[in-house]
Amino acid sequence: MADGPMKDLFVSLFGAPEGVVLFQLIHATQFTIYLSLVAFLGGGLIGAGVAFCRIVPSKAARRFAIAYIWLFQSTPLLMLLFILGLGLPRLAGIDVNPWVAAIAALTIYASAYFADVWRGALESVPDGQWEGSYALGLGFLSTLRRVILPQAFRVSLAPTVGLMVQIIKGTSLAYIIGFHDLMAIGKRWANAPVDGTEPFIIFPLMALIYFALCFPLSLWSRRLERRLGTAKTDAGLAAA
Amino acid sequence: MRILDLRFFEIYRSPEYLGLLLEGALISAGLTLLAGILGFTLAAGLASLRYYKVPVLSHIATGYVEFIRNTPLIVQLFFIAFGLPALIGYQWPFWAHALLALSINFSAYFSEIIRSGLQSVGKGQIEAASALGLPPFVILLRVLLPQAVAMMVPAIGAQFIFLFLTTGVISEIGVRDLTQAGLYIDSRTFRSFEVFLTLTAIYILISLAFKALLYGLERKFFAWQTAR
Repeated sequence: MADGPMKDLFVSLFGAPEGVVLFQLIHATQFTIYLSLVAFLGGGLIGAGVAFCRIVPSKAARRFAIAYIWLFQSTPLLMLLFILGLGLPRLAGIDVNPWVAAIAALTIYASAYFADVWRGALESVPDGQWEGSYALGLGFLSTLRRVILPQAFRVSLAPTVGLMVQIIKGTSLAYIIGFHDLMAIGKRWANAPVDGTEPFIIFPLMALIYFALCFPLSLWSRRLERRLGTAKTDAGLAAA
Repeated sequence: MRILDLRFFEIYRSPEYLGLLLEGALISAGLTLLAGILGFTLAAGLASLRYYKVPVLSHIATGYVEFIRNTPLIVQLFFIAFGLPALIGYQWPFWAHALLALSINFSAYFSEIIRSGLQSVGKGQIEAASALGLPPFVILLRVLLPQAVAMMVPAIGAQFIFLFLTTGVISEIGVRDLTQAGLYIDSRTFRSFEVFLTLTAIYILISLAFKALLYGLERKFFAWQTAR
């Protein structure tokens, strides 16, 4: 899979070491993208569940959601990776595939942020909407589905896209537990004593690839914010 | 199925490991604090360039902020620690590379917050102040900054704590920070789960301490603005 016409094309375009390196970096980027997508979907599903728990009438469920969001927003992603990729496998005496550990860690990490963003979106709908719907005889679920969600959806769009950027940047840590993505391959080349793969060439190149993934999403998020008029002051909270 | 045996005592009964953890925690917290101060200073400059629309420089500042915000910290760190030294031939201690990378990284995030804080103050107020004949620096100090700072202080605090939680990557370039201490203890004891759970707890404790510190500062210096 790592060979083929694409690689030959890169070699003929950029020359012997550079073409191979560039091809391998772009080839490895697909795993960065897969990991980001899985974490986005998995984190989104769990995050939606936690955000739901955060607003249901049950006090216990709300407490659980508050604790979940607090705990996993306070835990460094690197620690989640170490605990799931090294700690738990060693404790249980089993082998865990780096894919599984990386997906689990990034999913949990993403879910806490999704839950928080969506909770904020749900709470941005004024209480009067709930009261009005109850007064009209609608139940909790039908109020949520027909009245609250359509309004909260608008508010949540821009920060949700923004979180994608945070997740992509977060995947750059997965190489530490043995995940083979753009970061892992790039770091390997930067350490290789090959001309044309010096660290001051490889790392800017990798930065450009990450930038090409993240920047369009950032622009999209900002455009949504402007178009839907949902600019928030704390939306800038994203790093890795 | 084996019974899970947790052995936290292997960590907390060893004075050597406790010392390493303490040293690591101090280095992590100290470097982050320094990077926060340097980053904020740089960010204030970047945000002013963009707020006052200084020709050319404001575009450079925008490009810088966008580039840093849309690339992972670890790539920036590796470039500064391994790329730049080979390129221009300097060699600083590891912690200085880490400090530079963190300051640059923090400055981009802070700059966005400062800029949106400045922009949150309505143009009408600036116009009204200059119509009253106030000189520009008085407008800056007495009209613009007090309101902008009140807007940005909580966001800067939250962002700082978020960024603190990402600083574990500096262990990757050999800085003896908290994560590095954990990795060392892990390599000696093989109690990975206990070690990294302990580390997580220490990271959370430090971030709570930062939160308390920031809250205290906010109460002390900005009570007249934030109490609304």
